[in-house]
Amino acid sequence: MFGLSLAFKDFSFAKGVFGSKWVGFKNFSYLFTKHPSFYHLVWNTLCISLLKLLFYFPVPIVIALMINEIPASNPLKRWVQTMIYLPHFVSWVVFGSIFIQFLMPDTGIVNKILLMLTGKQIFFMTEVKWFRPIVIITEILKSAGWGSILYLAALSGISPELYEEATLEGASRFQKTSKITIPCISDTIITLLLLEIGKLMDVGFEQIYVLANTSVFSVGDVLSTYIYRVGVGQANYSMTTAIGFFQSCVGLVLIISTNQICKKLFDKTIW
Amino acid sequence: MIRQEGVCSRHLIEVLLVIFAILCLVPFWYVITISFSDPNRVREGQVILYPKGFNLKAYNIILSEKTFFNSFLISVERTIIGSALAITVQSMFAFGLSRKKLVGRKFFRSLVIFAVLFNGGIIPTYLVVCYTHLFNTIWALVVPIAFSPWNVIILASFFQSLPSSLEESATIDGANDFQVFINIAIPLSKASLATILLFVAVGHWNSLMDAIIYINSSKLKPLQSYLVDMVMRAQMQEAFADTASQDIPTLSIQTAAIFASTLPILVVYPFVQKYFIKGVMIGAIKG
Repeated sequence: MFGLSLAFKDFSFAKGVFGSKWVGFKNFSYLFTKHPSFYHLVWNTLCISLLKLLFYFPVPIVIALMINEIPASNPLKRWVQTMIYLPHFVSWVVFGSIFIQFLMPDTGIVNKILLMLTGKQIFFMTEVKWFRPIVIITEILKSAGWGSILYLAALSGISPELYEEATLEGASRFQKTSKITIPCISDTIITLLLLEIGKLMDVGFEQIYVLANTSVFSVGDVLSTYIYRVGVGQANYSMTTAIGFFQSCVGLVLIISTNQICKKLFDKTIW
Repeated sequence: MIRQEGVCSRHLIEVLLVIFAILCLVPFWYVITISFSDPNRVREGQVILYPKGFNLKAYNIILSEKTFFNSFLISVERTIIGSALAITVQSMFAFGLSRKKLVGRKFFRSLVIFAVLFNGGIIPTYLVVCYTHLFNTIWALVVPIAFSPWNVIILASFFQSLPSSLEESATIDGANDFQVFINIAIPLSKASLATILLFVAVGHWNSLMDAIIYINSSKLKPLQSYLVDMVMRAQMQEAFADTASQDIPTLSIQTAAIFASTLPILVVYPFVQKYFIKGVMIGAIKG
């Protein structure tokens, strides 16, 4: 934590954290006004997290609702659950590298199928426009199944009497889902949504590190990979600490302010 | 009519779920298919849907490769030391936090919550690791993540839910706080501790980021960073140039390495799955 003071210092390794000179907000003003790629990095990061919020976030909810529709007596339920949780326990290195092999030109299975159907190949990993979709799709496959657990837990807490009454009054399945199920898990949805919003500035390092390569750097370079590359790689500690500090602050502000908004709108908070 | 419609949509849901589940499993099936197939057929591109010409050559090569074996051992080591250390630190801290008589309890509590929401970031942590001379030792992979605020919160709320009468009667019998912790709190919370332990262990096994930041020496690289070097950065061409590349395509060796490194998790997963789910539930209800 004390290391954070570096963000306000001109750090040199020989003088140490406490010995280095204070420079006030110089690192920050450099970041916000002169740094050649800071806004670009922020944009890349935000793009990926917003796309994830839009396309990834609803998926676990849908999966949980679907699993919930299968009766517990059906063995399929347990099988499906076991299978969709599994990718969560494998590292991004493993999952990502298998995915890369799928998408390889010539040898990858996806391109083989494409070649059969259209006669053309797509260089998925080296084309800029494919990078973001790939990040989202791999995220869905790896984490959506596991993400559904929390919603399932919330779903299992709904009293069956509510459904019985609704059936007596002639509600259809769709009505039951929209009028009973979704309102009952809205607390969980809001809590998780707020936590996701708090992480907008911080996309997972490992996924990007594994999936990105030099040819997609223009969209694949995000704040965390930049901090690693320039901070650890080129020993530019002060500036990268400032970026990290910026990230954490934005996260904190986002989570507190959205929490306040939620309190006003729905009278719900996460703590 | 209405019932008919219900059956239809139920089948549709089942089909969709099965498709998603299969998509989740395809990567694993692919790795098994390639790595167990006859390498010559892999090179000719014949192997697509299922293994052809069952063959263990790729595994022979990868398992006799010293660096792979070494990385495997490092991973095992960090997982064991790391989980043991983490569970000790976290459970002790959480127990302290859960006692009402702790001086400054509120302060420590908000400190932990603050740590969930806000952290120093990559570089300050990296510098701390450098200054404490942990850099390039196995401890760099173990010590920085020994304390997880999130786990501490979960454990503390669990300890708090234990009946206080047990502690009182033990205190009357002359037990001190430490004895209460060892003899009462721990045995009663075995299940929760086990789930946290499992999560920590899997996290250690799969963690890549700290290894690429804190570890330079190739002798200390855990499996995940070995895999990155081998699969993504294609450094294996040099490593295997003399022995393998003539008769075995790199794809076979890569998939064999991937599978071998994932095997521990795949073996343990079916048995401990229910603990994982339970663990998430604890976190969900308390958090």
